[in-house]
Amino acid sequence: MKAERPDGCREWRPLLGAYVLGDLPGEERAALEAHLEGCARCRAEAESLGAVARLLPLADPGRFGQPAPRPAADLGRRIAGAIGAEQRAGRQRRRWRAGLSLGAAAAAAAVALALFVLPGGGEGAPEEHVEFGALPGGVKIYATLAPHAYGTEVHVYVRGVRSGTRCRVFLRGPRGERVPAGTFTYRWGDDSTATLSSALELSRTRAIGVQAGDRTFLAPVDPANPAT
Amino acid sequence: MQSGALKRERDVREAYAAHSGELYGFALRSLGDSGLAEEAVQETFLRAWRAGDRFDPQIGSLRTWLFAILRNVVIDLGRARAARPRVAEGGAEPAVEPLEEALLSWQVEEAMRRIGEEHRRVLVETHYRGRPYAEVAAELGVPEGTVKSRVYYGLRALRVVLEEMGYEG
Repeated sequence: MKAERPDGCREWRPLLGAYVLGDLPGEERAALEAHLEGCARCRAEAESLGAVARLLPLADPGRFGQPAPRPAADLGRRIAGAIGAEQRAGRQRRRWRAGLSLGAAAAAAAVALALFVLPGGGEGAPEEHVEFGALPGGVKIYATLAPHAYGTEVHVYVRGVRSGTRCRVFLRGPRGERVPAGTFTYRWGDDSTATLSSALELSRTRAIGVQAGDRTFLAPVDPANPAT
Repeated sequence: MQSGALKRERDVREAYAAHSGELYGFALRSLGDSGLAEEAVQETFLRAWRAGDRFDPQIGSLRTWLFAILRNVVIDLGRARAARPRVAEGGAEPAVEPLEEALLSWQVEEAMRRIGEEHRRVLVETHYRGRPYAEVAAELGVPEGTVKSRVYYGLRALRVVLEEMGYEG
């Protein structure tokens, strides 16, 4: 068969799949190869399909025979929560830096574990932004507490603890009672955020604690009388 | 999504709706653990959001950018996992598939899912199960030539899907 004739190619093309997979019987294969020798277009198609055929062994039919795996339905919400917590932590850090420039001496004199409790702010949102003080080198913990009917929404931002550390978060009420807010595992070398909740009302919350491994860090919370 | 930035929550929501399934599929294929895979996807979107200003659609698609971030996240997670102490069982190290190969394998598997059922079926029966074309044709009640033709169009369909997924041969 003469090459470069589209009509002729139409006859041979459907065999190219079996050909590049090495499945074409001898006679058919020889006839096709005779065509390929004279037909640059079919040769190019065979080469291109051959590249696809060489990928097939990489795929596991046991995997692609199953429906595509999907993440948990709430992953999108968790990501939105983590981004929201970072936004709040970023705003809090900016406020903290502004506050530091005004009151550096007071900050330096702060004792015990907790150094700063900043007022909630902006748009009348009665959130509490808390930065933990007196932490080991490299460790940073910020938290944002927001009031809800059910209690308090707690966003915790942690950086610098050992990856894999289980962190337990709790709030302390006016009589020193401890109300859990939840746990999360810090896994990253850089930072992490967690969205948790506690049944304790924010107006009754006096402190927040983060137990990271065998260390517990506390910071005071006083919505009625925020230190600046 | 419009223009460059991935800075608004709405942008992130749209990007998540469009790409989270694929990103999760690759993360799961690479890491072999659904919890770690979700963590990898979450970290990918967080990093994308933090660096949203740097995304330039003139350079590449959002999908390509997210996959590049995920690739780094998977490498970081792999390192973190390697650094954790292991409980030795018979001295065997867990087999870790090289990342590029995992990505390619995932792409081919995902492409196989996306081609038509008729095409996938003949490729599975003839190539993966090694059955004779005549036997497959008899089972499907079609001429053998139709099976060959479906194999051909199946490979073409795979090529199209792989190109859509960014495979450049």
